[in-house]
Amino acid sequence: MASTSTATVDRLVRLDAPEKPRRRLPFSPWHLFLVPVALIMLLPLIWMVILSLETSSEAQSFPPVVLPSGLHFHNYVTTWNSEPFGNFFLNSAIYSVTTVAGNLLFCSLAAYAFARLKFWGRDVLFIVLLATLMVPFQVLLIPTFLIVKHLGLVDSVGGLIMPNLCTAFGIFMLRQFFRTLPIELEEAARIDGTSRLGILFKIVLPLSLPALATLGIIQFMWSWNDFLWPLIIIDTASHAPLQLGLSTLQGAHRSHWNLVMAGTVMSQIPMLVAFLVAQRWFIRSIAFTGIKQ
Amino acid sequence: MTARAEVTRPVAYQQPSRWHRIIASEHLAGWAFVAPAVILIAVFALIPIGWSLLLSFQANNLLAPGHYVGLANYKALTKDPQFKSAIGHTIVYTAVFVPISVIGALGLAVALNRKIRGMRFYRLAVFVPLVTSTVATGIVFLWLLDPTFGLVNYVLHALGLPQQKFLQDPNQALYCIVAMTVWGWLGFDVIVYLAALQGIPQDLLEASEIDGASKWATFRSVVLPLLSPATLFLVVWSTINALQLFDEIYVTTHGGPLGATTVLVYYLYQQAFQFFNAGYGAAIAYVLFVGILIITLFQLWVGRRRVYYTS
Amino acid sequence: MKRICLIVVTGALIVAGCGSSSKSSSTGTSAGSGSGSGHVNITLWHGYTDVEGTAIKALAKEFNATHPNITVTPQFYGNSDYALQKVLAAIAGGKPPDISYLYGSWAANIATNPTTVNLAPYIAKDPSWNWNDFWQAARNVTTVNGKIIGVPALIDNLALVYNKKLFAQAGIPLPTANWTWTDFENAAIKLTDPSKKQFGWAYVNDASEDTVWRFWAMLWQAGGSILSPDGKQAAFDSPAGLKAMTLLQTLAKHNSIYFDDGSDVYPGVFNSGHIGMLWTGPWDLSQITGHQPYGVSTLPADQNHQTISGPDNWVVFNNGAARVNAAITFLKWFTSPKIDLKWATMTGDLPIRASAAKLPGYQAFVKKYPGIAAWVANLANATQSRPVTTTYPKISTAVGQAVQSVLLGKADPQQALSQAAQQVNGILSAPS
Repeated sequence: MASTSTATVDRLVRLDAPEKPRRRLPFSPWHLFLVPVALIMLLPLIWMVILSLETSSEAQSFPPVVLPSGLHFHNYVTTWNSEPFGNFFLNSAIYSVTTVAGNLLFCSLAAYAFARLKFWGRDVLFIVLLATLMVPFQVLLIPTFLIVKHLGLVDSVGGLIMPNLCTAFGIFMLRQFFRTLPIELEEAARIDGTSRLGILFKIVLPLSLPALATLGIIQFMWSWNDFLWPLIIIDTASHAPLQLGLSTLQGAHRSHWNLVMAGTVMSQIPMLVAFLVAQRWFIRSIAFTGIKQ
Repeated sequence: MTARAEVTRPVAYQQPSRWHRIIASEHLAGWAFVAPAVILIAVFALIPIGWSLLLSFQANNLLAPGHYVGLANYKALTKDPQFKSAIGHTIVYTAVFVPISVIGALGLAVALNRKIRGMRFYRLAVFVPLVTSTVATGIVFLWLLDPTFGLVNYVLHALGLPQQKFLQDPNQALYCIVAMTVWGWLGFDVIVYLAALQGIPQDLLEASEIDGASKWATFRSVVLPLLSPATLFLVVWSTINALQLFDEIYVTTHGGPLGATTVLVYYLYQQAFQFFNAGYGAAIAYVLFVGILIITLFQLWVGRRRVYYTS
Repeated sequence: MKRICLIVVTGALIVAGCGSSSKSSSTGTSAGSGSGSGHVNITLWHGYTDVEGTAIKALAKEFNATHPNITVTPQFYGNSDYALQKVLAAIAGGKPPDISYLYGSWAANIATNPTTVNLAPYIAKDPSWNWNDFWQAARNVTTVNGKIIGVPALIDNLALVYNKKLFAQAGIPLPTANWTWTDFENAAIKLTDPSKKQFGWAYVNDASEDTVWRFWAMLWQAGGSILSPDGKQAAFDSPAGLKAMTLLQTLAKHNSIYFDDGSDVYPGVFNSGHIGMLWTGPWDLSQITGHQPYGVSTLPADQNHQTISGPDNWVVFNNGAARVNAAITFLKWFTSPKIDLKWATMTGDLPIRASAAKLPGYQAFVKKYPGIAAWVANLANATQSRPVTTTYPKISTAVGQAVQSVLLGKADPQQALSQAAQQVNGILSAPS
């Protein structure tokens, strides 16, 4: 038993197996495919950035002016100063980080139980939880508002967070990922006397970093981009998260479209940064090598 | 091996209590693990769903006090031609969207799962549409697809192809929405597949190649089965989402032209928040809910037989 | 990691607790308060952004300074339809705002809410309201079944905006107050030039109210009406309606119309010199000023020059007598002639009172917004209004589909009108 454990630890530490040596081309042919794809994906962002650097007048034309007369970076400064963007960013940060942490924790616990434990009512409960994803939010927003109101959380960041602290999406996704892990490691640990919670935190989660990073980045993005729920629950401008705050720039009529675009571009940067950070966990998770039957 | 045998071998008269302890503790452990999630979801999702169910039995405009009308809303739905066409549009959209986005994402994830220069940039590029707000995406696509001034018709013109009306053509609009949503959501499926690809043991791939299998054969018989849990997840999730399409329609076509892009949730929204028929809207939501549930259960059932879990 | 998670989650709960305690200590929440000392706090929900957003904050501040017993807190509630969801949620939760800006098209449904205050007794008691000084079209939308459920918040109308440069290039004389539909049709066709991607006219073609209300203006100009006098039958299915639809069909067939799909790009297309004429309101001025040389005229006439207005209301909700009175005090101040002209000058919205033209500040207002005088004058042509009924949104959708189908060439005018009329009759006769 002891040797299995040490061997497990060794394998958990080791990283990627080395790549096989290959013929060196001047560049990989994959670039020919990926560059056009990347361009298509980036086109709107490029367009938004161009628009954000134009003058108000240039941004009021359609078709849009593609080559602006100059790069008006001060649009970003103007936009930042026009509304309490510092507050908006802070509120969004609290909202996003907390919901990510909550989902990672509660969904991991639940997903592990659905993946590995047999308990009474498990499959029915799973379907019931999954069913909560099947009713559109337009129908649920008023009753959710009423519940949050009863909890005294209207117009607060807590009110933003609570309904989003754990959703069935994360449970479903992590359950699928956990079930792909080889069960032998967990069984070995169980025999060693590790508690179930210990197995989850010491074995399962470290092997699931890509899945956790995925859930984290998705939940972060949803909270960061959330507009409708904050609109319903927040009244005071200083409590507003980012998308709600941005909407105060968007008039029904487009007189300052360049500033709206500047605000939109600014709001996207943290998500892109978060994605790059999460990528660090997209490493090959290892422990499969060498567990022979 | 020995330890396991120890656990299952019956021990005289001590066995029942230890057996019960073990069984009981797994049930208890299971419920303890799911408890926080269940409480949160029960309070913030199940209760609102129940409230909406009650609403669907009322004639209620959310302003004046409503009154119960039993199944009248549901009965009216069976005679509503717009409801039926909304169902049709929703199903067509879903049937086109899900395969394209899942298969496309798989291909793209495989392409992105290599160690070539600039890979982080490419992955980031694929992620960008996902974080772009629906409003911004809608505006961009409206511009790209404008029949007179849009970039796409400009390119078609340069290639000598006929100009299209895209979002202003009742026959094309829904497919344009498919393109728009595939573009917007592809990154999501790609990230999930990328995460799943990290879990494929390198030596299995090597063993397959050493055995002389072609790259494609390796892909089919090793990679695809190992990705099947992720595939099941993505198919189920994409279907649930596609059947509830709303935001992109709200931002671009407003259900038109001539109702061609009125999908169920958009129809529900019109009923509840434009016509002040919230009870009727709730009934639509419930019919949709039952439909999604049935489809999901079917998909999970198929998955049970086709999905390969390494454990 | 477990510890970190626990810390963050505990932090979230602490923040939640802070949130709820800060709610009870702040005075600017939707709950507001009426305290024993006589000071009243009220909230005002609006969708103003940009210039209007700045203006509402400035005027609220001015009111608060001059009325020490009342504090008005403006709160932004999103735009257009999203706002309705927020207001409905607040009403469902039993804590509506004290004052809310609400579209005129919602008036009939809002009136069914028990907490909507009927302002008629307050206005009757206080002649200094000068209620009839508000433009007729605005007053029409405040009154539902004899109850006055709102104070006019916005008035506008559709006028003809034309590109002087394109007219000159095409050699067409500029529109005048005597222009007829024939003049309009001929000009639109002459201004159409596919090689230059140039259109004679623009029309919002998303089958929404934006599509419908331009058609109503045409219907009225041709002498028609929307519903029968008793409001129980569709009346747009008439020779007047047919004439209006046929004009639309003709122009669509000549590809003279740039179709806006509801996302409001047509002012941008006008700015880049691709559209000859618009039927639009003063709200577009901020976007089109400074681009093409334009002029503003009344809409072309068939039998008359009628136009249509899209007024909106300030609605007061009942959160107790003290707050209702404070809200009414604010609205009376806000819509008083001098303050309203100040608002108009700050924002470019039209003054909601007919007497505004006589005030000393009026010339400054007209000078600041070139062309706006035409819209003010055109208010005299806004003599009819859309029906203020709970079923109007459904009527609008039925007619919107009809107009859209004709514009897209998928139906002919008589067919579309008959079908829409049939649908509307069904809507009107359905039990509510």
